[in-house]
Amino acid sequence: MRRALLLPLLLLASLLPAAAQSAASAATPDTLSLALAAAPAAEPEPAEPAAAVAPTGLTAQPWYRPHHLILQTAAGQGLITAGVGYTTLRGRVDIDVLAGYVPSKYSITPMGIFTAKAAYSPWTLPVAQGRWQLRPFSVGGFVSHTASSGLNNSRDGKYEKGYYWWSSRTRVGGFVGGKVSRVIGRNRYGHPRTLGAYYELGTNDLYLSSIFTNLGGLGVHEILTLGFGVKFDL
Amino acid sequence: MPQLSTFYHTLLRGRAGLLTGAALLLGSLLSGCDLIEFSPNETRTPEAYSDLTRKNLERLRQQPNPSGGDTVRFVFVGDSQRFYEEAEAFTQSVNQQRNVAFVAISGDISDFGLIREMRWVHDRLKKLNVPYLTVIGNHDLVANGREAYQKVYGPLNYSFEYGHTRFVLVDTNGREYGFNGRVPDVPWVQQALASPGPGISRQVVMSHVPPHDLDFDPQLVSPYVQALSTAPRVAFELNGHKHDFSIGQPYENGLTFINSYSFEKRQYVVLTLWGEKEFKLDTVQY
Repeated sequence: MRRALLLPLLLLASLLPAAAQSAASAATPDTLSLALAAAPAAEPEPAEPAAAVAPTGLTAQPWYRPHHLILQTAAGQGLITAGVGYTTLRGRVDIDVLAGYVPSKYSITPMGIFTAKAAYSPWTLPVAQGRWQLRPFSVGGFVSHTASSGLNNSRDGKYEKGYYWWSSRTRVGGFVGGKVSRVIGRNRYGHPRTLGAYYELGTNDLYLSSIFTNLGGLGVHEILTLGFGVKFDL
Repeated sequence: MPQLSTFYHTLLRGRAGLLTGAALLLGSLLSGCDLIEFSPNETRTPEAYSDLTRKNLERLRQQPNPSGGDTVRFVFVGDSQRFYEEAEAFTQSVNQQRNVAFVAISGDISDFGLIREMRWVHDRLKKLNVPYLTVIGNHDLVANGREAYQKVYGPLNYSFEYGHTRFVLVDTNGREYGFNGRVPDVPWVQQALASPGPGISRQVVMSHVPPHDLDFDPQLVSPYVQALSTAPRVAFELNGHKHDFSIGQPYENGLTFINSYSFEKRQYVVLTLWGEKEFKLDTVQY
């Protein structure tokens, strides 16, 4: 659990240099408001980026500089959840890490939920002369760990090994989703920078195990979860 | 909510902010919906799925005893965990029984201690024509299950009187508390069973883990059994956990223990009680 609590620090640490650098390169302390203000105006033709510096991929940038910031709610990953992520495979794969919070109003003690997820989006369609982007379909998976001192462990000294087969803290799940984004300028490499809203319709291992042992007894609609979020390209 | 609408307007002024605004609006619209879940371990529950013990007791109080004299008849079953198809069939079968006052479920409503499982079970059992009453099982205590159970059903230890009988329901899942010497709460059991009124012909105890099971706190076996055998007019104890029917007197004091079928066995017992310790068991298959 102690290791898990270090995760948000890691997230913060990865954010700081990125924020500092993007602020410096934009020559204004507030990149977001600049981007928003610039959005409705005609965008200047971007300088053709030098091919060597522009590839979108995990190796193109230092690991500590994430490609996007995320703010999310629900999907079983927190009431309020923030994270960072990377885009690779020519924009088709997003790999995100998030830290979520659920207050004690909804739990014995507050929960910290740390999630890693990967999603594959085969199509990104430009809409309205490229001012908008639509990702009609994504499919992905996640693994999450819940830290909460009041949560009764299903695997610890109270039981002999194998008493309960599942972990009460680790969840694995899958989802499908979609995203619609507004292009708001370009990033340092000349790629479109977007601010997008996404949804994820998913489920988890325990719900799946409930439905697979009750085919016909439990409806698919009963095991679904829904989450919403916003992704902002750095 | 003037601030909120101003906030939306500010967002909507920028066209890029439209997305954020729409997402927030959609999120707030759907927040009452079942799909929206902050964690599978959350303990948030809609009003229709909360405080069910109190609501069922209220229903029971308003319902005249369908059996005459000092007789009371109820259905006894346990361990509904992850048997949703069976729960549906169980409900239909019980609705055809005559003169049954209520259904008693001896714990393990859920399998993983998740609140959504408790909702799934209630979605099926709410179709019963009679109220149902539960006691907490060890599976209901996993993760945030204790609070989930308290919010959906209610207290872990409680008692009620109906049909000349006092029913005492108690949490005996000692292993879930690391055998801390406080579960079951023996002083509470003693008090709950003390001095039954003149209208009470008999007392019935129901708990999930029976004292002759390895998941019962070993240091409390003897005080607990002692409390039951010294209390006046205890007819028997009802248990679950073992997933099959059994009846026996494991201790020298002659106290009877009856274990319930689990839902997966597609059988339940109809218990009819009269006199001080007279009872009849009818097994029903469905």
